[in-house]
Amino acid sequence: MTDVHRTETRPEVEDDYIRVENLEVSYDGTTLALADMDLVAGKGEFVAVLGPSGCGKSTLLHAMSGVVRPQAGTIRIGGTAVRGSMGDEAPLIGYVFQDHRLLPWRTVEQNISIVLRANGVAVTEVDGRIDRYLSMLQIDRFRRSWPMRLSGGQRQRVSIARALALQPAVVLMDEPFSTLDEVTARLMRQQLAELWQESGQTIVFVTHSIREALFLADRVYVLTKGPASVLDVVDVSVARPRRYEDPMLTELEGRIVDRVMRVWGYEGPETTDEAER
Amino acid sequence: MTEAAPTLVEGVGLRTRERNRRIQAIVLAWILALGVWQLATIVSDGWVPSLARIATAFVEDATDPEIWAEIWITFRRILITSVAATAIGITLGVASGLSRRADAFFRPIVVIGMSIPDPVYIIVAILVLGTDESSALIALVIALVPFVVTIVVGGVRARDRGLDEMSAVYRLGRRRYLLDVLGRQVAPSLLAATRTSFAFAWKLIVLVEALTQPEGIGAQIYYAFRLLRPDHMIALALLFIIVLRIVEAIVFIPLERRLFRWMD
Repeated sequence: MTDVHRTETRPEVEDDYIRVENLEVSYDGTTLALADMDLVAGKGEFVAVLGPSGCGKSTLLHAMSGVVRPQAGTIRIGGTAVRGSMGDEAPLIGYVFQDHRLLPWRTVEQNISIVLRANGVAVTEVDGRIDRYLSMLQIDRFRRSWPMRLSGGQRQRVSIARALALQPAVVLMDEPFSTLDEVTARLMRQQLAELWQESGQTIVFVTHSIREALFLADRVYVLTKGPASVLDVVDVSVARPRRYEDPMLTELEGRIVDRVMRVWGYEGPETTDEAER
Repeated sequence: MTEAAPTLVEGVGLRTRERNRRIQAIVLAWILALGVWQLATIVSDGWVPSLARIATAFVEDATDPEIWAEIWITFRRILITSVAATAIGITLGVASGLSRRADAFFRPIVVIGMSIPDPVYIIVAILVLGTDESSALIALVIALVPFVVTIVVGGVRARDRGLDEMSAVYRLGRRRYLLDVLGRQVAPSLLAATRTSFAFAWKLIVLVEALTQPEGIGAQIYYAFRLLRPDHMIALALLFIIVLRIVEAIVFIPLERRLFRWMD
């Protein structure tokens, strides 16, 4: 039985491992990308952020990762404030970008090891972690390959392996499957859901695909057109493992479509380069 | 009807034919150049030395240990100036490429530096610092730095900002960022800058040595000029060009292969 709850835009989560409050981010002091944005995620939760292209979803992740400094509001991860530059005291964050962002002059294993070594993982432990995560993502045979020898899906798997091998408390994912063909993307979603259940990491997953958000997440934050703020929060209480074609997801998808059609508009959002960043 | 794709054997045949055509073109160019030279010898009543005279002078110079000592002096000067100019140019170029403030400060200096004719640097250095070896080297470094800066700034500006973000998110740190992320992205520019400073240094060093120094290949070429021995002038230049080509083959080409092997 589908159990769908519409909650307040600031839901009460028992363990608010990630708490974003009244976040405001603008580029060049003029283009507002996020306005009064709130988000809460419990430890080990899978939260999706759903919004139209260019609404500021990626900006939210940039702010959460410390790459972008917000003009107002607070971000706390594991009780530590994120302040625009990541000091040693900040919790480890894994980040899977829309494009893989691998170093093309480093092999698959070197791309992972450089991140692990930079974050203080012991040399003796690095190899084991690389083995483990490449095997989990079924790309261990490409360990010594150059990224440009791999397909788009394989590269994105390496990018996910890099993020997970760090064993961060939080993994931020910015539309990681949007550039892949649908069959590969479905396989990857399935794999990600399984990996997340094994690892118990907190994941914030940005997407513009309603079905993808519902398939993966415990809770979906639906955003407004840019500048983004929270339009709705949908709890997805569909049992796991989920099927992508699950009728309950279809029903939920229909409700979200009805809701956002009026807000996002038929003609789609106006996008700006700044908001896309 | 569509054209069938070449088979493996046909593909190999096409590549062989293409290589043969290239070799033929190179041979033809050499024959033409040597023919024109020989013609000039005949037309100039011997003022342009014949190929045979140049070959004889070349063998004489190549077997003279003193000439190799002169070559080493010039080579050492090229090495000092090009390494210094590359190091300073890369530092200023990376700073200008990463920081708008640094760029605003250095850009006018670089633009002016690029537009000053190279002999002016040499003459001013002689007037200010005298005819010491060091003054010539300083003048050459100052002349080369703007070229290196310009090449490096272009490489730094064209970098992938996505990799900058990745480095920040994963806290790679300044050293890893400079070496593994930025350094490798601008490697083609750095290599081009190093080659440029090496090539320019050779051209300018010969001029400086001819004007101010008693030693070096430039001084020897000038000495041959004063004795009206154009065959030795050309032979000395050829000898040094061969040395530089060997350096290219031993240093730059393997370095290039190593840096860009991930593209193969």
